[in-house]
Amino acid sequence: MSSRLRVVAVLLTALIAQATLLTEIRIQGATVELMMIIAILAGFHGGPERGALVAFFAGLLQDSLLSVPLGLHALVFPPLAVAVSSLEQRMVRSAPVADAVALLLAAVAGIFTVAAVGLLFGLSPYDPGTFLARIITAAVMTTAIAAPVNRAVRWAVLGGLPPDIKLRAVGS
Amino acid sequence: MAAKRPADRPRPTLLILLVAALTLLTLQFRGLQPLDAFQQGVRDIIEPVRSLSDRLTDPVQTAWNGVFGFEALRMENERLEVELARMRGNALTSEADTELLNRLLSEVDIAYSDFDAVVVRILGQPPGNFSAHMIEVDKGTDDGLEEGMAVVTGAGLVGRLEQVDRSRSLVQLATHPDFRVGVRLVTSQDEGLAKGTGTEGILRIESGVRLDAQVDNDEVLVTSGGRSVFPSDIPVGRVIDPDSDADYRRSIIIELAADLENLSFLKVVLPTQKPEGER
Repeated sequence: MSSRLRVVAVLLTALIAQATLLTEIRIQGATVELMMIIAILAGFHGGPERGALVAFFAGLLQDSLLSVPLGLHALVFPPLAVAVSSLEQRMVRSAPVADAVALLLAAVAGIFTVAAVGLLFGLSPYDPGTFLARIITAAVMTTAIAAPVNRAVRWAVLGGLPPDIKLRAVGS
Repeated sequence: MAAKRPADRPRPTLLILLVAALTLLTLQFRGLQPLDAFQQGVRDIIEPVRSLSDRLTDPVQTAWNGVFGFEALRMENERLEVELARMRGNALTSEADTELLNRLLSEVDIAYSDFDAVVVRILGQPPGNFSAHMIEVDKGTDDGLEEGMAVVTGAGLVGRLEQVDRSRSLVQLATHPDFRVGVRLVTSQDEGLAKGTGTEGILRIESGVRLDAQVDNDEVLVTSGGRSVFPSDIPVGRVIDPDSDADYRRSIIIELAADLENLSFLKVVLPTQKPEGER
């Protein structure tokens, strides 16, 4: 199966999961942002360009599902994926705890940015009183399901590519 | 860990994607129909899967609520029993009692009016985190529903249909910050514009009612009708703070009549036939 087909399969499966099972699981009204975690992980594994493309289509599908203007999540997800990719390339080494914290921060930033851009476009996504609590709850829930999603996204975006290509300069 | 590939062109790609997203947003705000149709199409395609999932997860949800919500349900039941007993003993001498009774009777589907309506079942909150003060119901355009229709219970106004797909719809609750409804105070007959506050069960009137108008606590409000999308005389709520001391701008606080806790069904009010030539 080609990488594009894998990405399509993962995105469609995620869309259905978001629309069905994950909608039922709510804590204080907050729910998992599955498409966002896919965008973040696509940036992490696929690099900035591929990550941005996957994130864009994840955002478009998310916009189609929700009662928000088409393009809202598609506007936020690609820069998020590129930022995550850029940070990932600057990390000296990766540790599970650091990865989880980074993922949590990325999710908080992503949900906050979507809410902020939504406000710019006249949407009122959250109660002012529960704004921060809901963002943090949604981010924690999103981070909690990252492990299985991570495997699927890595499988999809890396496709047939070798996982690591190390280039060495001649004579080093 | 991802390796940076020589072919990566993040900046031009990102720029193109951002421009594409902004273009879509702009076109949608300009009301380009195909984009709405695309969104509705995607939702309609996954609708059978969602319905199946709802059916499969219903027993699990019921069990979950039974285990973790039993105490709250028991207390709510006791409270309602006490309230009902008290009300049976009282004559309906005041408007307030009548309104409260309506609130209780709403659950047994006794209507306060003779509107043509479609009964819909509440499915829950819509997907995603952009769904505060929105609920999803199980009927759509196939059942004659249209955007903007009023949604009520026996106790009064609940909200309006915000988005209508073929077999599902989203209801914007009256407490949503974007919700607006023209209201009339039953006693003084003053009219104003009530809007959602984002706080559960609370609306606010900030325009329309005169500074010197006599507004009492517990005064009942109904929809004003007229050019509003809502039919007239649907109960909205009662005044809990008339803001009588306001010097410049009056802000009247209303408690919503309809209580959405533990509700399962709502009614969507169908528009009445208007005389020829009237819009």
